[in-house]
Amino acid sequence: MRPLLVMIKANLKMAVRNRAALFWNLVFPALFIIIFGVVFGGNEGINITVGITGESPALRDATVQAMEQTDAITVKTGPVESELQALRDGDRDVVIVFGSQPEQGQPPVELYYDETDGPNAQVAVGVVRQILLTVAQEEDPLQIAQTPVAGEDISFIDFFVPGVLAMALMNSGVIGLSTAFVAYRERGILRRIKVTPFPLTSFITARVVSQVIVAVAQALILVGLAKVLFGLKIRGNLLLILIAILIGALAFLAIGFAIAAVSRNVEVAASYSNLITFPMLFLSGVFFSLDSAPAWLRPISKVLPLSYLVDALREPMTRGQGLDAIWLDLLILLATLVVCLAVAVRFFRWEARSS
Amino acid sequence: MVSELPQAAPDASPSAPPVIEVAGLVKRYGNFVAVDGIDLSVAEGEIFGILGPNGAGKTTTLEMIEGLRQPDAGEIRVAGFDAISQSEQVRRVIGVQLQTTALFDYLTAAELIELFAGLYNVDGSPERVNALLDMVGLREKRSARVDELSGGQRQRLSIALALVNQPRVAFLDEPTTGLDPAARRDLWQTIRDVRASGTTVVLTTHHMEEAEVLCDRVAIMDRGRIIACDTPQGLIRSLGTAATIQASFVGGSLPAHALRALPGVTDSTSRDSQLELRTRDVQQSLVALLDLASRAGVTLADLRSAQPSLEDVFLALTGRQYENEETAEAEQPAPAKRLRRR
Ligand SMILES: Nc1ncnc2c1ncn2[C@@H]1O[C@H](COP(=O)(O)OP(=O)(O)O)[C@@H](O)[C@H]1O
Ligand SMILES: [Mg+2]
Repeated sequence: MRPLLVMIKANLKMAVRNRAALFWNLVFPALFIIIFGVVFGGNEGINITVGITGESPALRDATVQAMEQTDAITVKTGPVESELQALRDGDRDVVIVFGSQPEQGQPPVELYYDETDGPNAQVAVGVVRQILLTVAQEEDPLQIAQTPVAGEDISFIDFFVPGVLAMALMNSGVIGLSTAFVAYRERGILRRIKVTPFPLTSFITARVVSQVIVAVAQALILVGLAKVLFGLKIRGNLLLILIAILIGALAFLAIGFAIAAVSRNVEVAASYSNLITFPMLFLSGVFFSLDSAPAWLRPISKVLPLSYLVDALREPMTRGQGLDAIWLDLLILLATLVVCLAVAVRFFRWEARSS
Repeated sequence: MVSELPQAAPDASPSAPPVIEVAGLVKRYGNFVAVDGIDLSVAEGEIFGILGPNGAGKTTTLEMIEGLRQPDAGEIRVAGFDAISQSEQVRRVIGVQLQTTALFDYLTAAELIELFAGLYNVDGSPERVNALLDMVGLREKRSARVDELSGGQRQRLSIALALVNQPRVAFLDEPTTGLDPAARRDLWQTIRDVRASGTTVVLTTHHMEEAEVLCDRVAIMDRGRIIACDTPQGLIRSLGTAATIQASFVGGSLPAHALRALPGVTDSTSRDSQLELRTRDVQQSLVALLDLASRAGVTLADLRSAQPSLEDVFLALTGRQYENEETAEAEQPAPAKRLRRR
């Protein structure tokens, strides 16, 4: 046991002293949180101005009533044309237009929002959707008034932090691990370990354990920062969130190992890592919800592991959902882990390719 | 030229049990035979050198003994263990410095030693760490990070790491390559101290002088084979030449037959005004040569004499001049080495 612990301790020491890694794992995501937090609003929560218009008076009135119960929402009503104009002028965040056939079961509802409004619009649409769904399910408007509406005060930061957390876990797992391991191989450190009685499997175990410790520390620091500076609210079960963090960290470490296995040198490992992480950064809903992404983009995001980690963190953290909302995400992350480990084991080499 | 005579190993007598025994060792890379059936025996307590030009197969040999490379044929026993089937036990009793220094970044010298002590599960107390640092002369670099150390200091640190488990045998692969002459001499002393502490040392070098000065016994390796193995003095003695005398004539010359007839002389060459004699007895030949010159009225300028070196042994055994790519970069040749037959 002592050899393993000693190795883990040394790994942690090196992690703390590695300035570049520290920047990518902590400073970079922290800057994201600070900059976006300042720009898109912080602890006061968002205030959404919703324009409600159109036919279908029963549902419309129920919606107006539900929304007026919510502090974060200011409700305006008026004719369709003037509401849409107000949206274009930036005086509304979302406009709800109710369709004209209330008798045909679910009346068509159209949501309009300003695409240029970025993450704010995303949050606003999310909140409005949530309320609409709740209202549509319930026949009795009185009951709505008593139902606390989920996401009633989702601030931008609540939505954003899980994404940044997922990004940080991905970066330290994929880029950090793959380049470090290939460097160990290139520089003969793996061979040096191989002539000691310390098994290389223990060496890898020590590395994984220390990376996971780093990942959890990363999460705590980033969440703490967002809480102190912008009043981040975490709604879900903390244990479930921790499990999601652990599984996510392991899945991305496995991707890092797979890259290390197939990379000839550090430069190649860095290129592969960037090639994999960069698109994920933008196509996995880290910064904005993919609900409004173009249709062709959505299937792409469905094959990116980061989408599932973002979801697995955001559902419990932001929306207070339980395991039933994210079990599929976790399962897919575990599958990623297994597949990547298989690739890593298949292609792993302890020695640098001789020249 | 032998300025520092190697101290006789305390118990390097032929009766001491061999700590390493190698028989019929072969390693092929594809069709290329890197190690071509070598036999070796290293006695407990000696400094054993494997000397040869780059590409001779020194590293391959060492790393097969260490268990890092799989031999294609042959047997290896280290401290009584079979190097292939009992590699785990072997790893506990050996210490290794690889040819390329491989150290973790971001750790200090003391932390690295502590880490390795932990990996071996042996004493890693501050006292022990300091003792190891003292041994390699790095005490004052205790808290320096690896990237703050010079090349020579890193070499020393990696030797300290090879000693953490108080190994029966320490393998040092070209420990002095790339060092300046002063640092090289320091390291020689460190290696002698290691041996004095009871560890057998097996090192490789492509430096003739180093092998001659430092090693109790030397195996000369060339193209995957060991072409000679003995004490440095034994190897040189086997040449049958005690020394070379060199001079240049001023104002005339001496006939070749007269030179060859001088007492002790085994061979003579003179080209233009350059003279070179090989002799079994420097003093006798020199007196006779000076006498011959003064009677012939010839002045001898640049008169020099030199002991033969391992370089001459290599030349005699292979018919090739020893190529030492690194000589220019790292080493000023000792005066006697200026005796070049070209
Ligand atoms: N992994 C390898 N693959 C192919 N050839 C190798 C490998 N390692 C060494 N060689 C070749 O084997 C020969 C001996 O190499 P090496 O043992 O490193 O020599 P030395 O240490 O004496 O310089 C060289 O010609 C080298 O190119
Ligand atoms: Mg070598």
